[in-house]
Amino acid sequence: MWFFTSGAFWFAEGIVFVLAITGLKVWMEDRNTPFGLWKCLLASLWMLMLGFTIAFIGTSVGENEIVAAKKGGIIFSVICFITGVVVWRLLRIGRVKIAPGDEDEEV
Amino acid sequence: MDRRQFLKAIGGGSAVAGSTGLWFFGTEAGRSPDSYTGMKNREGGYQTFDRKKWAVSNPTYDKVGPTSRADGRTDVIFARMGYLRRYDKEKGLDSFPPHVRDYYTKHPEDLELDITVRREIHQKRAEDVKKYRNEFILSKAWSSAMGAVGPRGVNGPPEEWDFPRGGASTPYKMKDPRQTSRLIKKVSHQCGSTLVGIAELNPDWVYKYPMNGGRGFKANEPIEVPEHWKYAIVVGVPMSWDPMYANPPYGTSNDAYSLSRIVAYRLTAFIKSLGYAARPHTPGASYDLMVPPILVDAGIGEQGRHSIVITPELGCNFRPSIVTTNIPMEADKPIDIGVQDFCKTCKICAEQCPSGAISKGEKETIRGYERYALHSSKCSNFWSSKLGNMGCRLCVAVCPYTRKANWLHKAALNVTMHDPTGLSDHALAGMQELLYPGQEPQKYYMPSMGGENASYRPVPWWLKTEDFIDLPDPEEPTTRSSE
Ligand code: SF4
Ligand code: SF4
Repeated sequence: MWFFTSGAFWFAEGIVFVLAITGLKVWMEDRNTPFGLWKCLLASLWMLMLGFTIAFIGTSVGENEIVAAKKGGIIFSVICFITGVVVWRLLRIGRVKIAPGDEDEEV
Repeated sequence: MDRRQFLKAIGGGSAVAGSTGLWFFGTEAGRSPDSYTGMKNREGGYQTFDRKKWAVSNPTYDKVGPTSRADGRTDVIFARMGYLRRYDKEKGLDSFPPHVRDYYTKHPEDLELDITVRREIHQKRAEDVKKYRNEFILSKAWSSAMGAVGPRGVNGPPEEWDFPRGGASTPYKMKDPRQTSRLIKKVSHQCGSTLVGIAELNPDWVYKYPMNGGRGFKANEPIEVPEHWKYAIVVGVPMSWDPMYANPPYGTSNDAYSLSRIVAYRLTAFIKSLGYAARPHTPGASYDLMVPPILVDAGIGEQGRHSIVITPELGCNFRPSIVTTNIPMEADKPIDIGVQDFCKTCKICAEQCPSGAISKGEKETIRGYERYALHSSKCSNFWSSKLGNMGCRLCVAVCPYTRKANWLHKAALNVTMHDPTGLSDHALAGMQELLYPGQEPQKYYMPSMGGENASYRPVPWWLKTEDFIDLPDPEEPTTRSSE
């Protein structure tokens, strides 16, 4: 398991992170939603928060601190969910309607 | 600058930065304590906190009036206990020599706790030990293994014992005190110490009278602080983490006591070989001085509400020893990592302590210095009110600073250290209580005193007796050494 505490892991994690944000950018642009720098930053911040939550639960389980894993997991997951909804709405700003009847247009 | 020029500049800069980075990577990979397989500790690999950054000119305790030295015969519970068997109800306080009588006259509550309460507890305990001993077979065996090795103790007065060949040797001339400090620290790590620091010895910390008349001192004769006790080298090693969290019953101090002692005696031998005086002060109860304030002076950490010193690396999960010496060195400075402020907010140790020995109130003036009071008679009575290994150590386990060095706890420590507002202290102390709760304090007691033999965290798998041993009938008479 040493890989997960090594520098190589963080290198790989960095690549995966950049790929995830790039993928999100392409996916959003395919749906006619511009994805500039501020959206990249916002999405990155939210992903860091999600990452923190997963790592917190994992660390607590690893430490055998089950109460911390449960209570902390619930608290941080709720925070992630609420902020996730807000972030998602912000990321969709500027979406262009391309076909009549598209109800999702937001400018 | 056009685009092509810009890209060329960026490319050139990156090549230089990359090459420089690789140079640092290479040198670090070659000399990092991590690369000394199995010997990281011996290379000082766990004392990584940058103490210079947090150094302060004055220690984090306050001197508030005329000071006096502690009386090793009565202020130290272990020494005081030595007098208890002389107690005769008929004679009352007259059973004791004058200094003990004086102590109990000033502290009548301690007399009640040390004698009457202790007797009642011991009677109850005998039955519980019989009933529940099976639960602790492995942890007791482990504790006795950890305490099996130790150096011979100091057995002569400082003017003789401390000097090489009884004082006949001429010391080598050391070139530079700063270099000597570096050397001593390196050697301390090589001797097995996780932490090391150096202080100029404040004579206030030396006992006025020796603890038990051993170590070459005559009982009831005051200690004249020897001139050669100029410096105090502090060393410390951690207790095994998982059993430590399973305190009070399953942990032991023996593992760290034993190694801490070995380190101190090794270091003493090293210094004496250079012709200088040295004297180890080690656990258990082989001291001529008070240890915690010296740790503070040496910049190892700060004294917490529970009276134990909290370090940035190990929290309070460590056991120290001290070597007093006259080898010329440069002393370290005390550090301030915010423990005093944090302890004002956090009272977890005081709330969890089953005996109520730790103060929930403000600091008090004790012998001219301000600190939180610890009621050692209450603490010691709890040691007899529980089963399993000797001692308790629950206050070590529950302290938020005593956390393993993973990213989460390191981040929390950094937040408290860097936040000047103190707001994070409230948040983190609150989170500690919410996320890392302890038991109801009463549950830590043995069953005959209304408890459940509870531990802060579950016993580690390798100390679960029932998983390895066919449990004997508790009623069956036994002569096994682990009991
Ligand atoms: S060792 Fe136990 S009884 Fe003593 S002060 Fe700490 S928590 Fe309280
Ligand atoms: S448990 Fe809290 S109050 Fe007690 S020493 Fe640790 S930080 Fe201070």
